[in-house]
Amino acid sequence: MIIIPHLKNLKRDMGGYNLGTNMDSHINTPAFSLFNVEYNLLIAEELLRLRLSQMIINEKIKNKEFKIPIHLALGHEAIAFSVEASMEPADQLVLPHRNLHYNLAREKSLKPIVEEFLLKETGLAKSQLGSMNLANKEKGIVYTSSILGNNLSVATGLALGKKVRKENGIVLVVLGDGAMEEGSLYENLVFLRSNQLPSLVIIENNQWSLATKIEERRCGIDLKKFADSLGIKFEKLVGNDPYQYFSRLKELKEYSMSNNLPVCIEVELATLGYWHVNTEGYAPPGRFINYHAGAAPTVNLLEWPLIEESTDDPLFVLKKYFDENQLRKISAKVLLSLQEELL
Amino acid sequence: MKYLEHINQLIKIKVSEADNLVIFGQNVSAGSCLSGLTRNLKVKENSMIINTPNCENTLCGIGFGLMLNKVSSIFFMKQQDFLLLGIDHLVNTYNFIRRENPSASFTIMFIVVDQGYQGLQSSLNNLGDFCSIARIPGFAITNKVDADEIIGAHLISPGFRMIGISQRLFNEELSDLPLIHCNEDKTLFQYFEGKDATIVCFNLSFSYGLELHQQLKDKNLNASLFSVNAVTPIKWEEIIRDVKQTKKIVVIDDSKSMNLSCDNFLAHTLDECELKSKIIIKRELLEDWLWPNSDKLNLDYAEIINKLKQTTHQNEP
Repeated sequence: MIIIPHLKNLKRDMGGYNLGTNMDSHINTPAFSLFNVEYNLLIAEELLRLRLSQMIINEKIKNKEFKIPIHLALGHEAIAFSVEASMEPADQLVLPHRNLHYNLAREKSLKPIVEEFLLKETGLAKSQLGSMNLANKEKGIVYTSSILGNNLSVATGLALGKKVRKENGIVLVVLGDGAMEEGSLYENLVFLRSNQLPSLVIIENNQWSLATKIEERRCGIDLKKFADSLGIKFEKLVGNDPYQYFSRLKELKEYSMSNNLPVCIEVELATLGYWHVNTEGYAPPGRFINYHAGAAPTVNLLEWPLIEESTDDPLFVLKKYFDENQLRKISAKVLLSLQEELL
Repeated sequence: MKYLEHINQLIKIKVSEADNLVIFGQNVSAGSCLSGLTRNLKVKENSMIINTPNCENTLCGIGFGLMLNKVSSIFFMKQQDFLLLGIDHLVNTYNFIRRENPSASFTIMFIVVDQGYQGLQSSLNNLGDFCSIARIPGFAITNKVDADEIIGAHLISPGFRMIGISQRLFNEELSDLPLIHCNEDKTLFQYFEGKDATIVCFNLSFSYGLELHQQLKDKNLNASLFSVNAVTPIKWEEIIRDVKQTKKIVVIDDSKSMNLSCDNFLAHTLDECELKSKIIIKRELLEDWLWPNSDKLNLDYAEIINKLKQTTHQNEP
């Protein structure tokens, strides 16, 4: 793949760009216009790469090529790209079991990940970690946990370690709305705030935990009020706009580091690939099932990989900025490149 | 000097010499400082002491996170059973981190509530139970000699381990002991060598073995005395060699666990040694084992000595 190194180079060339410092007014600013045309195209290309890579893996899951459990993150591409793009070399990323999108974004390559899933020694982690614990120290992914809420406190320790060693950079930790129900979130936000540890706690809220929706399992949690009660800045990202997410994350990182405070970010998203259960024995028949793990049976690898005609799909959001035909051409090119990579 | 004071002194020296060290836990530098365990700790300017909130699960994870960033730390914990809240990290996080042989140190040091009056919490008095869940190195401190050796070698050293101290022994005056043998890992200690019996103590039961040794000596019987301070795999050769000489063994394990360290030892020893006398002292759990009451083992030393004497006399021409 040669696409993403270009993206990185462009990022460096953008040193003089002002991504905006007025945080309150920025939310409604079309971040797209902050970047040049070529860079915007590369961001679109990267989102397509994240989507198509997952679709290729999905086909392999359907073909039963893997023995390990795999959690796809179709629909999570905008936040994955934005986290990756906002990271500096000294930053550290800590991930949960659904981590494929971040690993693809950081590694810039599909093959080592597929080979890890195939438990080959040529895999990204030499077949030692599989999917749910897949980390990549060289690319700043220092810890990944398969246990809900487990990764938060390791991230807190990493942030404390940076403070002790007076090191630059920030720790970004990702969890889902299932992990947000664990006591670990409370404990760690209290500790991070008490010890003034800069960090971004990013909660991907897809509304589901296994096969239950939030309203089927618990009362509502107002994360803003919760964060406010601890004196922690809260931000909600909605709409899957990679341009907006990226620039906003950069600002939140700067805020966190300059104030030595954690920031809590909730990202509203949908894990695409759901289906309706019609098998007898499941009640009620036809029940909507959100994608959790394994194959997404209703998703097929296509040259143009749009899944949803709504802002639930980050690729749909790209159509706000680009002509669909242009995106289709990029997508075909990316798919060919990925297929060649796996040959 | 008393048991707890001695351990505190050793910790004070060790932490004062370390660079980039984080000491953390609830009340580590406030109030009673964990009954005196962490009293008056001083660290270098590049280190820190944190009185933390009550969040044991998080604190375990923090130690491992620090390790990943090459910062050594010690988590002092008031009671071993509090560690139940962090058990996920002992398995899942430790297993992730141990793959790469980390250069930083992480030690969880806790007080084993083996005195008995905590009631329900006192049912968990076995350090080995925590160690066995992920084959974690663990060390029980039972006297002056093993305190010196274990804290000296393991409190701050690359890798992760747990060190347990006995609440029951807090105010015991420590006496000087000879050290005949200590293995490299500081998991097996021999204090006396004798021809009349081999006493082997497990978990935190060394004080019972020492008392038995003294009483045997008063009766002109010389026993070898060993203490097994860890549950992690141990080579039993030293003890087995001794048992082959004495042919008489007294095993003492004060744990309430179903998973006794002494059972592993006995499986090896009974297989390899021809014994004339075998006395195994384990806890008999009666109806009141979950109630607040003394956990002290009531050993009938006279009866044990009589049994050993009988077999000793049988050997005489």
